[in-house]
Order: sequence, then C-alpha cells, then structure tokens
Amino acid sequence: MSTDSITIPASPRQEFAAGVVHSLPIVAGAVPFGFLLGSLAAKAGLSALDMGLMSALVFAGSSQFVAVELLDKNGSGGSAGLAVVGAILLVNLRHLLMGATLEPRFRGIPRARAGLALFFMTDEQWALALRRGPELTLAYWYGVAATLYLAWLASTVAGTLAGALIADPNAWGLDFTFIAVFLCLLAGFWRGVGSLPPWLASAAAALAVHALSPGGTWHIIAGALAGGAVAAVQAKWQGRASDA
Amino acid sequence: MLESLHLDWSLLAIVLGGALVTWMTRIGGPWLIARVRLGPVANAALEATPGAVLVALVAPAALSRPSDALAAAFVCLIARRVPMVVAVAAGVVAVVLLRRLL
Repeated sequence: MSTDSITIPASPRQEFAAGVVHSLPIVAGAVPFGFLLGSLAAKAGLSALDMGLMSALVFAGSSQFVAVELLDKNGSGGSAGLAVVGAILLVNLRHLLMGATLEPRFRGIPRARAGLALFFMTDEQWALALRRGPELTLAYWYGVAATLYLAWLASTVAGTLAGALIADPNAWGLDFTFIAVFLCLLAGFWRGVGSLPPWLASAAAALAVHALSPGGTWHIIAGALAGGAVAAVQAKWQGRASDA
Repeated sequence: MLESLHLDWSLLAIVLGGALVTWMTRIGGPWLIARVRLGPVANAALEATPGAVLVALVAPAALSRPSDALAAAFVCLIARRVPMVVAVAAGVVAVVLLRRLL
C-alpha cells in the first residue's frame, strides 16, 4: 500500500488560515471602497456609529452604497426609510441565486449554524467558497468571513471619521464617485450583448419614472421590474428558439 | 468624538430592517432551492435584477448633464480593463475637468 493514497485532513486551524490568506487580495481591493463608502456616509450625515452598525449588521457593499446614496438624497424619515430598506432588498436579491448554488455544501450542517455562516455570504465569500469545491469546511468559510468582515467594518468606520473632516466633497467631484462605483459594479454583471436589452429597458423606465417623481425612489423599482421583465422575455424566446 | 457616536433612531430602524431583509436573501437561497425549482424564465428575470437596479440608480444622475454623461461613458469603457479603484478615481478626475469645460 502506497502512502500517497493516505490524505491527512487539514486541521480546522489550517483551514481557517487558508481562508484568511485567500481573502487578503480581496481585502486590498475592498478597503479603499469601504473608506470611500464611509466618507460618502459622512457627507450624507451619518455618524461613525451609524456607519459601523450598518456595516456590522447589513454587511453588503453594493446595497450599503445604495442606502447611503438614498439617505443623502431623501433622508431617513417615514416613507424614505421604507424605500431604503426596499432598495437594499432589491440590490441583495442576487444572494438568493448565489446561496442556491451553495446549497449542496450546507446540506449536512445544522440549520442554526448554516444560518449564522450564511450571514457572512458576500459576493467574494461566495466566489471563494465555490472555488474551494466539495472540500469546503466551515473553518475555511470563517477564515474568509472574519477577514472580510473586520476589513469592511474598519475601513467604513475609518472613512466616516476621515470624511467628516472634508468640508465640501462635491467640490472635488465626490458626488460622481457614486455613479462611477455603480458603473464598475454594473460592468461585473456584463454577460455580452444579451445584457443590453434589460439594461436599456431599465434605463428607459427609470428615466421616465424619475421625470414624473424626481424626489422618490420609484424609478429604481420601475427599472428593476422593466429589466427583469425584458430578461424573462429574452429567456422565453431563447427557450423557443432552442425548441425549434 | 461625541459627534461620531451620535445615533439617529430612524436610521437605526433602517439598518435593522436592511439587516433583516439582507440576511433573508442570504439564507433564502438554500432554503428555497431545497423546496421549489425556478423555471428558466423566472431564473433569468431574477438574474437580471441586480444589473437592472444599478442601471436604474445611475441613469437619472449620469444623464443629467453632458459632462457627467461623458464621464460615465468613459468609466464604462475602462471599468473592465483597470482595477475598480483606478476606474473610479479616473472617472472623478474626468468629471471635474469636464464640468469645468462644458
């Protein structure tokens, strides 16, 4: 019997360390964004405590950018607050699909432990976990999660503390950073020319609704629904084309 | 220091609401897939939602003035070729210059 058929399972400590190491490049990219989000939050009137709570409890970058943008424009009172929660939900709907693909990895894990682990599922966490394949362990998962969580919390709070010192961020075009960040995130969703029809439909619907009610956030809902509807029609046509 | 510890109560409600719905999207995937199977059409609509939300968010502001529209087009061109931080920084520099010129 040859010794190479014997595989020694990695200890939880080794698995955790591997998760930490694998997430370091992501941290390098995420920290400037956390800092940017924090400074925009300061501009929107959020305190460092506000920002820290949001990062600690919501822990979802894109949706936090959206939330801070809406808070800056419309404030936090009444229906504006409900719209922020609704926008966070819409931006994070993609988690449903991502989580669905991880289901085989979480099948054997007790429900409460899976629920806690899934709290940390960001785009990056999901990507690293999928890449780990069937050997994914909870220790590895938490190595990634702890690293990304602490980096995000620290950078967003630091950005809020620093941003509060900036008198007029708009003078340096900081208001445009929102547009630029969203366009970069959007580029990550590009899947070829097939992506264009839903996006054009969303833009058209958003512009039309925004013209009717410039202050509200209904244009986001309208755009999301229009884009989803067009994508559904595309899928239907594609299904028919492949049937024929 | 006291200012940085200020807590807005209506904001706390938003954070708690946002945290709850976000957690539900995270646990909802494995929970749902074990129970229902989405058809390809519903799946395509759900898959297109994040992109459509982002488009709807930027469209009114990005197309509000020619300088911002040009800078937005520039960011789109470079977004997949350079790191995100670089693309955002270049976009901000572009918009500051373009707003002065146009």
